[in-house]
Amino acid sequence: MKKKKIAPKILWVLSVLTLIFLWAPVILIMVYSFSNNKYGSSWEGFTTKWYVKLITNDQVRDALIRSLIIAGITVVVSTLIGTITAYGLYKFNFKGKQFLRTSILLPIVFPSVVTGSALLVFFTRLVHIPLGYPSIIIAHIVFCSPLAVFIILGRMQRFDWSWEEAALDLGATPFRTFIRVTGPQLLPAIMASAMLIFPWSFDDFVITYFVAGVGSTTLPIYVFSQLRFGATPVINTIGTLFVTITMLGLVLVHFIQKTGKSST
Amino acid sequence: MSGSDKQPAVCLEIRDVVKQFPGVTAVDHINLEIREGEIFSFLGPSGCGKSTLLRIVAGLENQDQGDVLIAGQAVNDLPPYKRDCSTVFQNHALFPHMTVAGNIGFGLVERKVPKAEIKKRVQAKVDLVNLGGMEDRYPHQLSGGQMQRVALARSLVLEPTVLLLDEPLAALDRKLRKEMQVELKRIQREVGTTFLNVTHDQKEALSLSDRIAVMKDGVLLQIGTPNQIYETPRTQFVASFMGASNIFGGSVIDSQDGQLTFKTETGVQVVIPESKDIPDDQITGFSVHPELIDLIQEDAAPERMCTETDVMLPGTVKEVFYLGDFSEMSVMIDDTDIILTVFMTRGWSGPNMKMSQGERVIAQWSGDNMNLLVG
Repeated sequence: MKKKKIAPKILWVLSVLTLIFLWAPVILIMVYSFSNNKYGSSWEGFTTKWYVKLITNDQVRDALIRSLIIAGITVVVSTLIGTITAYGLYKFNFKGKQFLRTSILLPIVFPSVVTGSALLVFFTRLVHIPLGYPSIIIAHIVFCSPLAVFIILGRMQRFDWSWEEAALDLGATPFRTFIRVTGPQLLPAIMASAMLIFPWSFDDFVITYFVAGVGSTTLPIYVFSQLRFGATPVINTIGTLFVTITMLGLVLVHFIQKTGKSST
Repeated sequence: MSGSDKQPAVCLEIRDVVKQFPGVTAVDHINLEIREGEIFSFLGPSGCGKSTLLRIVAGLENQDQGDVLIAGQAVNDLPPYKRDCSTVFQNHALFPHMTVAGNIGFGLVERKVPKAEIKKRVQAKVDLVNLGGMEDRYPHQLSGGQMQRVALARSLVLEPTVLLLDEPLAALDRKLRKEMQVELKRIQREVGTTFLNVTHDQKEALSLSDRIAVMKDGVLLQIGTPNQIYETPRTQFVASFMGASNIFGGSVIDSQDGQLTFKTETGVQVVIPESKDIPDDQITGFSVHPELIDLIQEDAAPERMCTETDVMLPGTVKEVFYLGDFSEMSVMIDDTDIILTVFMTRGWSGPNMKMSQGERVIAQWSGDNMNLLVG
């Protein structure tokens, strides 16, 4: 009888430890980003001067803007590709469909190092795409579109396709049907994938590092380069920004999915 | 084109249409003509191909063979959005992100009708289906019956040549179904549009339709008015599907003076009047509706008048189901395994309605009330 009581307790302790293990470093960074300590590694009173430094640092600002532009374009193009691909995979039957569907997963499951180096070789030796914005954006689209495909495909499997038939029957062409009926119904899933893709693209380091070339420093790469000179408190503020943006994205996804459910 | 003034013009024609799905022929060489302004029903059990046929007319499914003509024009190669017909789907298929008015106006927007006119025409249809005041509601705020009305208005507002109804009442509960049936008839009378209805409910088909086509396994078994289909089914399947519980297979063994001697598979011999429509050797059975059979207590029998063509079979009451307005009795005919189903209504049968189990009776019906079957 005693053993039975102990098991849930162990599980509880383990869960708490895991949560602490997951969250402690993140929370520490967020706390130290407001600390007066000049190495950002202990608490010496509250300050916002590192945030001021962050904003006035040109390199950081350039990297941030670059990352935002890349993530923005990646989100738009990836969700577009994802929507079209998911639609095709769901609606049409063709030879090799199952293979294509599985192979789309590859960029997600492959180690980033492999994808990154493969893309670099591809860009420099085969298709000669200039390293910088073009190469980074293409690389991001490569590993972000599959995510959109699978989120939107999941929504399509719960979709009432008689809406589409009704629209066709009422005189809408297939294109108009997509614009007026199918698209709006898929919008929650499209938005959800956009919200997940944004931090994916914004945070990516490994693949970006391979294909960035010289002079196209994104924010994660900037952070990494700064670490070589030892951790500075500005890094803590960037970390806090990353966490906040990502969390905001996830919260938005949560709400979008909630409203999406209640409307159908 | 002369001499056809009596009958309204044909507005939908189905010519030798075949549709095959892997392993099954859903629609098997069907020919049909549906006239302007009638309510025509495809009736049959699920999987008989009736919905597939409807979808072929709508253009949502392509036939393998044959032609569909709407208002005399072949529409085989036209996609659904170019056909002059509109469908009311079983699950309504209302657009969840559009209001009632938005749903009803959907097709008009696609036809680039000016906004002011859309508003006017939508309002007219909202009034027609009694949805006044609900224009700004969303489908999830409506009841099943109201959604059905929106779906109906959404199709009717386009003034199609044929309105296709795919089991429009199946999703509704019994009381609502009756109500919508009355509504459908009223609406059809008001707009005069041809209705092509698909249903598996024979009662619905009988009360709603001007003509019915009974289908089974992709084949058209019989076309006729509700009267014809109910009272003179041609085959065993149609007879049983329309609720004639007493069906006897067998053949004619003798014929004289306009009287046929019919022997059932279980050996009972019955004399039936000759039919002028069906040759003797094609008769494969007959059916009698339960409400046409009378039960007489055995000892009271001689007092009753009966003609030569009356069929009289002695038997025992096996089961009595009292249903209020009528009783359903099962009567086992002596020396056979035939169980007759008999309906005794309160008005006609009076005390006989309360016959009890085990009672000896004579089942009697007029030979004229027997319906001959050919398949």
